Amino acid sequence: MIEKEHVLNVLKEVKKAVENNDLIKLKDMSNQTLHSASIYQDADNIAIAVIIYVLSKILERTKYRNYPNWPSFLSAFMHHIDKAVEYLEKDNLPLFEKELKLIRKDVNHLSGGFKKDIQDVFQKASINKASRIYEHGISIEKTSKLLGISIFELAEYAGGTGVSEVDIGISIPVKTRIKNALEMFD
Amino acid sequence: MEKRLIFDSSSIINFSMNGLTDLFVKLKNIFNGKFIMTSEVKYETIDRPLQIKKFELAALKIKKLLDDGIFEPPSKECSQLEIKNETAKILNYANNSLTARGEFIHLIDRGEASCIAMDIMCRKAGIKSVIVIDERTTRMLGEKPENLRKLLESKLHTSVEMKHDFEFMKDITFIRSSELVYIAWRKNLIELKGGDVLDALLYATKFKGNSISRQEIEEIKRIGRAS
Repeated sequence: MIEKEHVLNVLKEVKKAVENNDLIKLKDMSNQTLHSASIYQDADNIAIAVIIYVLSKILERTKYRNYPNWPSFLSAFMHHIDKAVEYLEKDNLPLFEKELKLIRKDVNHLSGGFKKDIQDVFQKASINKASRIYEHGISIEKTSKLLGISIFELAEYAGGTGVSEVDIGISIPVKTRIKNALEMFD
Repeated sequence: MEKRLIFDSSSIINFSMNGLTDLFVKLKNIFNGKFIMTSEVKYETIDRPLQIKKFELAALKIKKLLDDGIFEPPSKECSQLEIKNETAKILNYANNSLTARGEFIHLIDRGEASCIAMDIMCRKAGIKSVIVIDERTTRMLGEKPENLRKLLESKLHTSVEMKHDFEFMKDITFIRSSELVYIAWRKNLIELKGGDVLDALLYATKFKGNSISRQEIEEIKRIGRAS
């Protein structure tokens, strides 16, 4: 389920942020979509969170601009966002979803190093967003399935973040847990 | 009394990524009971990663542990059908318990639910059991569901309501890969020498997804020094 007005607002803001090369704003917008993605856990909210994060990353890495395909790739990317906004405004959800999917499909038409780089950015963006959803309180298995990544990838990434440092996550004292473990091996 | 350690995929994957799968063999040798792997956990740790080149070798190593009988599928405790039915009930209950913006938040998935189902059935059969799980959400549901509600509320920036309690999980005991490496260290199963081996082991589990804080690690080290 998507919250139409919120998503429209986010996508319009994204467009402005890209025009202004405002990477901080883009990352902020991506994080904003995570709350909805964590609650509704639907493909659209998750795709939007990943797509915005990908945009922030590909704009951040200016080396991509040297690839011959760069101008057409970015132009097509933004065209799909424009069309997605247009369809959502008309409440045409199937076409809205199709435009979101086309953004990722377009990567397959790229070639060589650029294609590999952008695929890698999409994969890493999925892992990053999965880690954030796990941080929100959704289980590791559930999250990995939502983002289509393996638990191996998510566990490793999440292990390097501050997820486990949250005090509220300490649900019983360490001493008790050690005692419980020792009792099983006695 | 018979004993079972019921493993979630998060802890098996943690040992695997740390190159510690041999430790399962050593721990099993000193354990008077069975290490259980449900079919749902097998799917996450073996069947699915076998299809991904990056994790194929890890999956094969875990498969060997199952083939060698270090991990065992549930058998004596209950039938596969009973686990599937109980898993479905738990999934339905857990994923229809907390709401935000009028929607139920789906918290856990089949592997995690199957471990809870298995534990409940073990205890019904008079078998002492513990779930080994590194991921935080399932553990919090059993130990402090109210904390999970608060965590969700603070992260989602919206009100989160708990529709029913988790009393049926209150007797479940959870340990993590960190407690297992502590046991291995304390029982001299670790062959590494020099340096702070316990510190290295505990942090290794943390960096491969074990939900343990630095403060908890330091506490375990203090317990270790005092033992």
